[in-house]
Amino acid sequence: MNDLKLPIGVFFLILGALLSFTPSAGAPLTDAPVNLYVGVCALIFGAAMTWAGRNRA
Amino acid sequence: MLHLRAVDYTILILYFAFVLGIGMVVRRRVKSSGDFLNSGHSSPVWITSLAFIAANLGAQEVMGMCASGAKYGILTFHFYWIGAVPAMIFAGVFMMPFYYGSKARSVPEYLRLRFDEKTRALNALTFAAMTIFSSGISMYALGKLFQLVLGWSFEQSVLLSAAIVLVYTFTGGLTGAIYNEVLQFFLIVIGFAPLAILAVAKTGGWQGMASRLDPVMTHTWRYLGSPAENPMGMEAFGMVAGLGFVLSFGYWCTDFLVVQRALAAESMSAARRTPIIASIPKMIMPFIVIVPGIAAMALMKMNVGYALPMKDGAYDYDMALTTMMAQFYPSGLLGLGLTALMASFMSGMAGNVTAFNTVFTCDLYQAHIRPHASDSHYLLVGRLTTVGGIALSIAAAYMAQSYNNILDVLQLVFSFVNPPLFATFLLGMFWKRTTSHGAFYGLLSGTLGAAVTHGLTVAEGKGGWLGATVHIFPSTMAQNLWMSIMAWSVCFVLTIAVSLATRPKPESELHGLVWGLGKFPSDSGEPWYRRPVPLAIAVAVAATILNLLFW
Repeated sequence: MNDLKLPIGVFFLILGALLSFTPSAGAPLTDAPVNLYVGVCALIFGAAMTWAGRNRA
Repeated sequence: MLHLRAVDYTILILYFAFVLGIGMVVRRRVKSSGDFLNSGHSSPVWITSLAFIAANLGAQEVMGMCASGAKYGILTFHFYWIGAVPAMIFAGVFMMPFYYGSKARSVPEYLRLRFDEKTRALNALTFAAMTIFSSGISMYALGKLFQLVLGWSFEQSVLLSAAIVLVYTFTGGLTGAIYNEVLQFFLIVIGFAPLAILAVAKTGGWQGMASRLDPVMTHTWRYLGSPAENPMGMEAFGMVAGLGFVLSFGYWCTDFLVVQRALAAESMSAARRTPIIASIPKMIMPFIVIVPGIAAMALMKMNVGYALPMKDGAYDYDMALTTMMAQFYPSGLLGLGLTALMASFMSGMAGNVTAFNTVFTCDLYQAHIRPHASDSHYLLVGRLTTVGGIALSIAAAYMAQSYNNILDVLQLVFSFVNPPLFATFLLGMFWKRTTSHGAFYGLLSGTLGAAVTHGLTVAEGKGGWLGATVHIFPSTMAQNLWMSIMAWSVCFVLTIAVSLATRPKPESELHGLVWGLGKFPSDSGEPWYRRPVPLAIAVAVAATILNLLFW
């Protein structure tokens, strides 16, 4: 547990999945699919952290 | 009021589950009071570095900096590039060797080793009071915010956040707090960065945003020639001496809340690199937390339907962040943004509670109440102090409800305490002639100097309680900065004067506590990025380039 990468990675993988599948609606000043953009970023970050954490373990 | 959907609540619950889970897992590692209060000096440098910066990412940092961005523009960046980075570099290169090398468990304990018990007790008492105030203010701000934007009751918000912080600091101690601060840091970045990007893009990019605002809103130094040229009412000297030297060095070099994170590092080299590495994300943070506030002012001039709410006939800048989130964040991202906001409040709270724990247990209880008890006794006291600290913070949050200017009072207390403490450390660490009496009376008189300055000056209707007003400041920020300069100067001069009139400690008792007396481990065989000095030079160059780019 001295290395936090794995739990942080898992957290952001779940967060990324949640955001990626949530439609972006209801924001008055933007039409961009921001949930998808941020979700993909969270997935990439989560995957990188999980990979780094598993490698260390 | 914002309306959350199921996905938003799911993200909030997911975050709570991970925060509590980390606390529970870390619990297995806590076997002694050292593990609980000091994290056993075992945390890797990347963790201590991110915790170092996250402990400072509390309510004022996120909401307050966005509000200041809307009110003062890019001048607020000085709180990072001038008001943090140089002090963090200094802390890593020059001060951490003494803190870590002396094996002091806390900043007040270093003061006992270098000076005496009375100086330690004075610092421990003022620091303990400050942390409880700060933690209570975080809770109060969170309660009011969630009442306003989500319609939750003040009690629900305060008790929920207090219960969660209590569980993971009670079970995991400092390690639990530090590990959660790292998660909170990433959450804050990914939760707020999209807002800055979306808002600036909507205004037409940086140039588009700048073209819609007064030039003073997008230049860091150009309008600091005189106080009349900028909305902060500051000139370059006051900014550099007050914010860039006295206030920031006072906070980043001596405030145990942040120093404690570096002391949890696994080695002296890691402890020294902790504040330096932390200064790298610190340079980037203003783009995430301040820029949305600046963009809010540009959006108001675009007639796109966005307007800051009014309060007492003026803009309510404190609402800049949440109103911008309501405009740019759909359900999902909105839940993430609010979770990040909650994380920032909780990291501020937990940081204060864990620092309070250590100072109370080591510097007050063990030093003055029960000196020779077993380690398991101090572990129990540490855990009970966590409960006591949270209870006192809740009381402070409720007390804050009765005052309309509690945040001003808190800032005032910081101006009284931190600047003179930095003068004491500067002399104590770099001048072996500094005596215990000099340090104690210098600290007291510096605080008194700040109080007298506040009593004789007025800013925005505050101060002037001594009857005669000798100066009127254009803003409370300017008043606070000049109070800090006064407090530091009085402490510095009086400490020297008293030290010259009293007997210093023999050099043999100052080994490893004063610059030049004692050796520190060499790191010459390490690559440059693992050595504090070359790393500090690289960071200083990067900070200089940023200042020039946004001159």
